[in-house]
Amino acid sequence: MYHVVHTTYMKDEFGDYVRQRREQLRTQDPAFSVRGLAGRIRVEPSYLSKVERGETPPPSEATILRIAREIGEDGDVLLALAGKVSTELQAVIRKRPTLFAELIRELKDQPDHAVLRLVREVRDGEW
Amino acid sequence: MIELKQDALLFSFPEMHQKARLGIEFQRTLRIPDDDRDYPLPPGLGRFPLRHVDDFGREVPELWLQHGGVMLPMYQSEALWLNFESSRGGYPFAIKIAAGKTNAITGESWKEKLDRRPQDYVVAPEQPWLDGYCVERGVIRQFVAMPLGSGYSAEEQITGEAEHGGLQILVYPMKAEAFERYFRRRERALGDACRYASESVQGAALDMGLAPGGRMRQEIYDDPYKPADWDLEHGSRCFVHIANSLVWRGITGQPPPTVPATAREYTDAGLPWFEYYGDDAEVVGGSKVLAQLKSVLKLGEARKDTPLPENDSVEPGKIIALRKGLAKNQVREGCF
Repeated sequence: MYHVVHTTYMKDEFGDYVRQRREQLRTQDPAFSVRGLAGRIRVEPSYLSKVERGETPPPSEATILRIAREIGEDGDVLLALAGKVSTELQAVIRKRPTLFAELIRELKDQPDHAVLRLVREVRDGEW
Repeated sequence: MIELKQDALLFSFPEMHQKARLGIEFQRTLRIPDDDRDYPLPPGLGRFPLRHVDDFGREVPELWLQHGGVMLPMYQSEALWLNFESSRGGYPFAIKIAAGKTNAITGESWKEKLDRRPQDYVVAPEQPWLDGYCVERGVIRQFVAMPLGSGYSAEEQITGEAEHGGLQILVYPMKAEAFERYFRRRERALGDACRYASESVQGAALDMGLAPGGRMRQEIYDDPYKPADWDLEHGSRCFVHIANSLVWRGITGQPPPTVPATAREYTDAGLPWFEYYGDDAEVVGGSKVLAQLKSVLKLGEARKDTPLPENDSVEPGKIIALRKGLAKNQVREGCF
């Protein structure tokens, strides 16, 4: 079942970003042609081409995550550019919606280093 | 800082450089035969599950909580390799790896500073992975799991004691100014098969140590940078505890991964092995201390023990060559 929430996305922003990144990589490796990348993410080259040109909405979450892995980008960043939130994050928010809504609003204008302080780190002990 | 993300450790140093991010994952693999032949690289069979030890405070030993860090489950019939993934910009890191606080490159006891002669660390991304103890130039003995206290681990063979177990990892990033100096030009160019466990859980020892298994062809590359390029003020370290897979469910409530295929099953299925070529990169010599270690098979024979019920020699038929600067699709992944 398709669970991704569609929010507003800047038209072409996702496609532009993917195309620019793919073309950068293609200067180093011909495997990053439209056909090559499409084959690896299991879509038709014509479909990928339309996505890159913004002629069709961004693909599914699973396909976006495959694109992210291939072009070496963060999956959450690409999902955000596509105006989506991952199924995993939705599940997290749905468990405690009020708490997370409040937390996100509180943090929205905080600098990165302040937000990073909330990230759970692996604890080091005595050894 | 170190985060646990999707069963991998993510070391990042955002205060130094945005690109200073290194992922270390622990790949499951089959145990190569311990028969004194040199084998190519076995496949990666997926990541070991990784969990914070703090989340299972009531179930794990007090010592694990004292060490902090993470834990993973391992069967005695499997092996482990470390995969180093730095960001696409190729930010360099010096990485010290020890098992039971015995350095995997030199066999020396744990210390936090970096030694160049002999080199007691690996450098990522030059070193894409590490599969075991460096016993000779170009040869390692595979990291295999044995119950801590059984006398097989490198730690026990060297120190005579089963005190630490697990894996210890310490990561130093390159200084930001050195990174900019080395990589500015490049940056501009780039722009910005399975069987279910049937063994009995009863009586299984919890804590596992890493012991030297079969021999494998793997080079440890010389540090191509200067000692002053490493930022020794900003190291991050992590203790990775190894739990016997047979008690993993008892600790976490989650099933452990399935038992991996044996080397014979994998090879008979026509699945690939791998060779990595680092081109003209300098290679460090092996450790005399580690070369003296007895493999699990040899030590078992000396003790009239049978620690490896399945240890058939195999003839890897299909070998895939991987070269330095792995391109897309040059992955070391197998499936069974």
